[in-house]
Amino acid sequence: MTTSTFRQDLRVVASTFEVTLKMIAVDSFVLFGILIQPLIISVLAIWMLTPKDPTQAIFVVIGSGMTGLWSTLLFVGGNSITRERWTGTLESLVAQPTPLAYIVFGKNLASVLQSLLSMVVSYALAALLFHLELRIVQPVPFAISLLLTVFSFVCFGLIIAPVFLLNPAVQQWQNAMEFPVYILAGFLFPIALLPGWTTPFSYLLAPYWAARALHATSNGSATAGELALCWGMMGLFGALYLVFSGLLLRVILRKARADATLGLE
Amino acid sequence: MNAIQVEHLRRVFKSTIGVLRRTTKQVVAVDDISFEVAAGELFGLLGPNGAGKTTTVKMLTTLLIPTSGTAHVLGEDVVHQAERLRARIGFIFGGERGLYWRLSGHDNLRYFSSLYHVDPAVAAKRIPYLLELVGLADRAKEKVDGYSRGMKQRLHIARTLLHDPEMLFLDEPTIGLDPVGARELRDVIRDLQAEKKTILLTTHYMFEADALCQRLAVINKGRIIALDTPAGLKRHVKDLAVVDVEVFGIPDENLARLRALPSVDTVSVEDVDQRQIVRVQTTEGSASLPAILSALSDLRLGKVNVREPSLEDAYVRLVGGEA
Repeated sequence: MTTSTFRQDLRVVASTFEVTLKMIAVDSFVLFGILIQPLIISVLAIWMLTPKDPTQAIFVVIGSGMTGLWSTLLFVGGNSITRERWTGTLESLVAQPTPLAYIVFGKNLASVLQSLLSMVVSYALAALLFHLELRIVQPVPFAISLLLTVFSFVCFGLIIAPVFLLNPAVQQWQNAMEFPVYILAGFLFPIALLPGWTTPFSYLLAPYWAARALHATSNGSATAGELALCWGMMGLFGALYLVFSGLLLRVILRKARADATLGLE
Repeated sequence: MNAIQVEHLRRVFKSTIGVLRRTTKQVVAVDDISFEVAAGELFGLLGPNGAGKTTTVKMLTTLLIPTSGTAHVLGEDVVHQAERLRARIGFIFGGERGLYWRLSGHDNLRYFSSLYHVDPAVAAKRIPYLLELVGLADRAKEKVDGYSRGMKQRLHIARTLLHDPEMLFLDEPTIGLDPVGARELRDVIRDLQAEKKTILLTTHYMFEADALCQRLAVINKGRIIALDTPAGLKRHVKDLAVVDVEVFGIPDENLARLRALPSVDTVSVEDVDQRQIVRVQTTEGSASLPAILSALSDLRLGKVNVREPSLEDAYVRLVGGEA
């Protein structure tokens, strides 16, 4: 790839990001997923956890925010290709010179960054309504963890979207995939509370490593070794998802061209 | 070198029905077609609905992989060199879909220009020019959601010209447009042709094909049944005359009686509001009028007209009255 082509593809990511932000900003379903649902989860979690231990407040805020992050990725990122098919724009996207992976990356980046608002909403709720003390103990490692979280979530979305396009039957399980990840990734309570046999599944999810890093850096319990492990796993999973998704998208688009399933007619 | 070279192209669609007893049904949409289009030519694919026109265009625009045969566009193989080809062609499919309705017309063009790697400085000049060209400059900042069908179609034209493609595929671009919108779009197509763009146009409007295309391939049931200039196609019916009879409801028995007449070559029916125009192609001109009127004697008739055959009549004869 030449520098000029790379710059052009980056421009595609940036313009897809901008267009997606404009479109989801007026999508009430997305706004529910980003703002209302995490708010409900925050309130419930604050009522359940903070009376016994007020120091759990920051854990609740981070965890509730991550539920918004995951829900948005699952529904907006997951539908990023199939939605284009429904609206008849998939053919236009496939028949242009930029690889589709860049477009899906830009879309996922927009939805994941926008869903960080979930964390802001949860923070505001806990601080202003419940007057809880909220402090990020290790702010710099927290910021780095957040960046890597965005990267690994965006890359995870690159896998989900083509799988949903390839197999609409999997997409029917979309709703059922929301809460198990909340639980397995330890968004709202530590996975140590789960049966031991579920732990390997948690380790395979980038959101688990993201939650672990964000929780640990926010409450100040993150050691250098812990951070290296979490960041390394997020980087590793992100890179693996990225490579695998490129391959997956090529195979799926070839299959869609052979089976005539790019359009809906 | 030809802009398009198609050899023995074939496309079969398979669909499966049933849950326990699954049966696979095969439909041959394009059946062993071959043709070429010269650089700078405006070439028409003419055929009734379901004839295989859109399937052919989708294969040539890399959106569909042929079952067999080969196709080269601008020297690139549409299957194996698809990514290289995509930067050099533009296409529109008839209809309103394919645009982002929640964005403005201007934002749609800006987004597609980045997808086609158009330099931002070039795009900044070209987008206003194209909006002007397709008559949308005044409405460019409005959301596409509020555009009429014709406006969306014209925005499609602007979208497809963003990267200044060497070759254009226009699949029924005027379908569903009002007469004024369709005429404006035909003017745009003429302008593009004057710029020496190679254009492949599909349509089932005969006057459109006659007015725009230098050569036409008539396609029916997936096969090319004639390929000639509009004048050449008209020669297919130079030995015939056409009798148009206006009727108010026509049963199949009357059509069968007409078709059984020895001087009748082809019979077709066109619905016009509450009435029908029965077009009878006959080898005996006005001499066959008594026999034709006798076959329709039990019906309420309107105007009767005997005339020279047009391109549409040539087309009707080629597709066997199915148009």
